[in-house]
Amino acid sequence: MTIRNVRDHGQRYRPRMACLKKVENVVLEMQDPKTGVKSQTQRLVITTIPHAITGEDIVAWIANRFKTDAAEARAMGTMMVAFGYIYPLQDHKRLILKPDTSLYRFQTPYFWPAQQWLVEDTDYAIYLAKRNIRKKGMLELYEQEQYNNLYKWMNHKWDFIVMQAKEQYRAGKERKKPDRVVFDCQERAYWVVHRPPPGTVSAMDYGHDRMVDPNMEEVKVCIMFIQQCIMRPRVKSSVSIGALIKYTTTYKEHDPFLHTCLPSSPWITDDVTYWTLNMPNVETPTKMRVERWTFSFGELLMDPRGRADFRLFLKKEFSGENLAFWEACEDLKWGAAETMKEKAQQIYKTFLARGAPRWINIDGKTMDITVKGLAHPHRYVLDAAQTHIYMLMKKDSYGRYLKSPVFKETQKKAYQYILCMNCVPQLCRFTAPVPHLAVYTGICEAQSTASPGLMTLPNSAACPSPISVAIDSTPASERRFDGNGGPSSSHFPSIAEASVSEEEKQPPAPKSRMALSLSRLLRRGCNAPSVFASLSPKCAVASGGGKVQPLGVEPLAQPQPRRIANFFQIKVDIPPECRIYPIDSEDEEDDSADTARGGVKEIICPWETVTKQDGAG
Amino acid sequence: MSRWRQSVVEIQTRKRQVNECERAQAALSKVTACFQQMATSLGSNMDGSFLREELEETRTVAHKICSGLHRRLLSLLIEMEQGQEDKEQVERHWVIFLSSLENFQRDLKKVKVLQEIFPLTQRKDRQALINAGYAGGTSEVAARAAMVQTPWLSVEETASLDLKNHIVEIDVLLEEMFQRVNVPLWSVEPTQEAWVEGISTQDGGQEEDESLEDIMEVEVVSQNSTSGCCNHHNCKVGCLLCLLS
Repeated sequence: MTIRNVRDHGQRYRPRMACLKKVENVVLEMQDPKTGVKSQTQRLVITTIPHAITGEDIVAWIANRFKTDAAEARAMGTMMVAFGYIYPLQDHKRLILKPDTSLYRFQTPYFWPAQQWLVEDTDYAIYLAKRNIRKKGMLELYEQEQYNNLYKWMNHKWDFIVMQAKEQYRAGKERKKPDRVVFDCQERAYWVVHRPPPGTVSAMDYGHDRMVDPNMEEVKVCIMFIQQCIMRPRVKSSVSIGALIKYTTTYKEHDPFLHTCLPSSPWITDDVTYWTLNMPNVETPTKMRVERWTFSFGELLMDPRGRADFRLFLKKEFSGENLAFWEACEDLKWGAAETMKEKAQQIYKTFLARGAPRWINIDGKTMDITVKGLAHPHRYVLDAAQTHIYMLMKKDSYGRYLKSPVFKETQKKAYQYILCMNCVPQLCRFTAPVPHLAVYTGICEAQSTASPGLMTLPNSAACPSPISVAIDSTPASERRFDGNGGPSSSHFPSIAEASVSEEEKQPPAPKSRMALSLSRLLRRGCNAPSVFASLSPKCAVASGGGKVQPLGVEPLAQPQPRRIANFFQIKVDIPPECRIYPIDSEDEEDDSADTARGGVKEIICPWETVTKQDGAG
Repeated sequence: MSRWRQSVVEIQTRKRQVNECERAQAALSKVTACFQQMATSLGSNMDGSFLREELEETRTVAHKICSGLHRRLLSLLIEMEQGQEDKEQVERHWVIFLSSLENFQRDLKKVKVLQEIFPLTQRKDRQALINAGYAGGTSEVAARAAMVQTPWLSVEETASLDLKNHIVEIDVLLEEMFQRVNVPLWSVEPTQEAWVEGISTQDGGQEEDESLEDIMEVEVVSQNSTSGCCNHHNCKVGCLLCLLS
């Protein structure tokens, strides 16, 4: 028996066959006695059979009906023949439309291809058996193969198949001769379409079956979800890449892996000073850290030290409740579940209720939503209000904060690393904070006198100067001071050694090389008030021939980084839109704080032209 | 003694019933084959109310045979015990009947769809009929179908169904058959061997048949020739073989 194939092969499962209905309509149009295709009689030896049509007539009709050219019409005609709506009377195995006088005939609707049912093997077996009866075993090779296959496959029904074949054969014989001929042609054509001889391309090859009924509920939901995913607004890759570039340019110098980490990278030198200096609630932050606060409001808030600074500022402005509310919301969001209800109530009483002690100013709609949500408090019930307050702070207070004395004070006091003559990276503070830091040459002593609160670091031989890490091009052999290089750095040893070799004479070549590599170092960063110290004792010795001069105090005291052109000068090219001087009053912020600051620094060696920086430089 | 006679009677009854089924099956085959032959004219230029009536009649006959056969076969199989000699035979008939029903149902579905596409209710519908090349009708086929005999055909009354319900009923029949009888279908061995039907010369007039395809081939060659033995414009062969009248 057949396995009961209850699956419906209709539109849902064989969607690509939907064109059949359209072809049928065209075929029906072709039948019209007045406007249809011209028909003629086919003359056979013994009889005539009406309704034969020539290929060229078909092409002409199609071209006229659809207003296309002959080639297109021919293609369409071939498609109709391939589907089996028209069959050729000569050369019946090739299902193409020849635009000449070759004859075709319309297929009877019983033998039309249908989308909703598959052509059954049982029917094919009956047909082959019939053909076998008629031709007494003289079937074509592929037909014989199919017959044998079907005999094996449908062995249990074979009696039925033979019986039916015989009956159909006899029933067919009842008809008149011409009709028998027609019927045989039709049936033969039908099976050429649906069981094509090997090596031919079949138009019935429609691709994969759909396994799922797209009208089922679960499937509909899936389809809807996927459609929504596709329709989600997407960011152009140029925009997202632009944002990525902006981010990396801004944060490049702040990354301890990608950039020099002063005083030294703890991951390399095992000296944890960097971490100590950047502890969450350290009293004095580093310059880099303060600079990060200017990048975005989020940065400021996420840094505990920054938040504390901001809180201080707000206190001075008597608008501290915003930040307090925001923090309370954060606490609610991230806090423990059991205290949530009380926390929410507390927040409401403190910030949101009428006449609350620290009432925050949010708009009516948000207040409405929040109060309604507080009836059934959950973690995110205050989300709307929190966002509102966040945006308020960002748009209003943040800007004012960056211009405030509080911030400027913090900035001023912030620690910054420079490298000095005795080669230990020193932390300095500058009276006039300089965002685009560049050059400083000189000795620590000078700086230590100039700025209070200097931290001197232990001169650890094990710690190579950060610049040494950066300068990797100078081969060790040419440097005057190698010796106990840093533990991990094969290059430049600690500049501590330099003090030893002060008096040594150095050939200029390594000098310039170092100068160049320094310049390379400096050129890498276009941002940065980061520390650079130049300095090579070698050069100092070479040019000065004497002791290294102390760095004057002046550059530190002045707002502009005017260099004392002792040895190296590092010229800073400041892009026009960036105002760095004077650092205190007006500003470099707003959004330009976030953009990459272009600044090219190049080192000018003293034996080259020494140019002084202009004021606004 | 009487018990022996009783069992003989039983065996004979049973044999009779089985033979009945066999003949009914043959009749069903005949009817369904005729039905198919007539269905191929649907939608063609020979389609008409006459054809549809004939189809209806044939279908009713088939329906009657089906129901009767279904009942008898079912009862035969249900009361059958293991190890009876004609068990295999009955099972074979069972399978044949099943396949026959399914085949017939496919034809019925096609007919239903075709009748929807070509409703023939209005005059202009006739213009849409496909010029398939038919010249004659299928009355002979219908007559052949009408000639079948089954023992219960005139005796039993079965409710007549329209096409749609007939299709549904066959579904019901098939369901019932699968549920009530547990016959492993693939275990049935056919009596016919492969290729046998082509060898037998039961049907006469086969020389005529093979020339059907030759006829269609010959037409290619001699399409343009106008010479002939007689005045008839279709005559292309020598006078002796001219079958045109």
